[in-house]
Amino acid sequence: MNLTREEIIEAVNGALVNEMELDPAELAPDKTFFDDLGLDSLDMVDLMIGLQRKFGVSLRDNEEIKQVRTLGDVYDFFEKNQAELTRQAEAAKKQAAEQAANNQ
Amino acid sequence: MNGLKRIVITGCGVYSALGDTPAELFDHLAQGKSAVVRAGEEEHFLPTAPAPRDPERFRSLPRTLRRAMAPSACFTAMAGLAALADSGLMRDELLALNAGCAVGSTMGSVSALRDGYSLVLSGQSDRLSPMHFFKSASHTTAFNLARTLGLQGAIYSPCSACASGLQAMGLGTALIATGQTEVMFCGGADETGSEVSGSFALMYAHAPAEGNPEDSPQPFSAHRKGLVCGEGAAVFCLEEYEHAKRRGAHIYGEIVGYASNSGGTGLSQSDAPAIARCMTATCAMAGIAPSDIDYISAHATSTIQGDAAEAAAIREVFGDSVPVSSLKGHLGHTLGASGPLEMAAVFEMARHGVLIPTRNLRDVADDCAGIDHVTAPREKKIRVFFKNSFAFGGINASLICKINV
Repeated sequence: MNLTREEIIEAVNGALVNEMELDPAELAPDKTFFDDLGLDSLDMVDLMIGLQRKFGVSLRDNEEIKQVRTLGDVYDFFEKNQAELTRQAEAAKKQAAEQAANNQ
Repeated sequence: MNGLKRIVITGCGVYSALGDTPAELFDHLAQGKSAVVRAGEEEHFLPTAPAPRDPERFRSLPRTLRRAMAPSACFTAMAGLAALADSGLMRDELLALNAGCAVGSTMGSVSALRDGYSLVLSGQSDRLSPMHFFKSASHTTAFNLARTLGLQGAIYSPCSACASGLQAMGLGTALIATGQTEVMFCGGADETGSEVSGSFALMYAHAPAEGNPEDSPQPFSAHRKGLVCGEGAAVFCLEEYEHAKRRGAHIYGEIVGYASNSGGTGLSQSDAPAIARCMTATCAMAGIAPSDIDYISAHATSTIQGDAAEAAAIREVFGDSVPVSSLKGHLGHTLGASGPLEMAAVFEMARHGVLIPTRNLRDVADDCAGIDHVTAPREKKIRVFFKNSFAFGGINASLICKINV
């Protein structure tokens, strides 16, 4: 994952439009997910599952992502953490490969 | 049903392979249409009877509802909304009446179960949406209907395979009869899939892949080789009679008898004496002599044992004087939906004064003989009809409805 902020915005907004059927015109950084965009906690889990897959990272145990309130928070989160998230994903992949080799 | 409140049907909605209104369903049945197709392009694929699953058809359901729905719940929601509109009841009235629902299915949603297990078993559980539970839970059709209609009363979901829908009707009947509520939305829904068809095929109870799919199934026929799985939903608005009368509702009919029982030992085998006891108990509850029934909508799915057992039981209780047909030849076996969906068709038969024959029944089997099989459209005034549904596990359910109360 090595994306510009614009690419992150495009990916996140794309998920919200395609998966949550939101109007692209609604998607401003200051919009809150629950009150402004009408999503709930289950939608947020689904959104994160989609973004995990899109970005090739794992968010399941990330505490910071659970604190996001606005769309801008999500853009900031990925922009700030993308290097660390990528490192974690590659380490997890390497560990899984090693474990698979050991099991053979 | 002395001392109990009377229960009438004031709304009907269907979603099926042969139409998403009762009138359209009847037209296609009357034309002799079959919903049966081959499940895939290859010759060895089994026949099946799918209902439309095009996502565009379900776009009228808000995403916040739709996200928790697999096809079985979408079918139910579409049928339920139609039943509500047909009943003439307003949503705020439903709240005041503490209206609830009872909708059953065989296993929630076979497609959602398959999707979920596929991800888990392929090591992709991190892709599993929390919605998978809501889509595949055994009561998905019921709670999704309640959310769709905004029902705040009791939610029940009988899970008794192919008797689920008729048992849901029986449950709603009992709740209204005993004064626990005045309105219940009741019905059944189901999905077909290779897991379902395959289960029947393993037991040699499924129609074969060979030949023209539309020639299967063949209920009561000497040539029957097994059932064909179908899918769809039907939902009725059940209402306490005095309430329906006060508001001037259109009344389709009155549920005057319902019974359910078991042979006590059966797994997949049908039990003619138990079926006969169930039908006799239903007549007794209704206070109606078997000879006063105008039509029997049979369960008959086209299995070797099941059809023979039902025919034997009908012969014992009704003799050969009551017309009998099965709609499985047109619709396939819509499993948990079959009881209510076929009832919806019978109301249309009553409206038109015509009995729909059993499709694909040309040579009545010796073990299904001795009852009045309807093999061609027949003019008939239906004042009282009888509906049967049976299920694996030895479950029998029967219902009697009076038309034009």
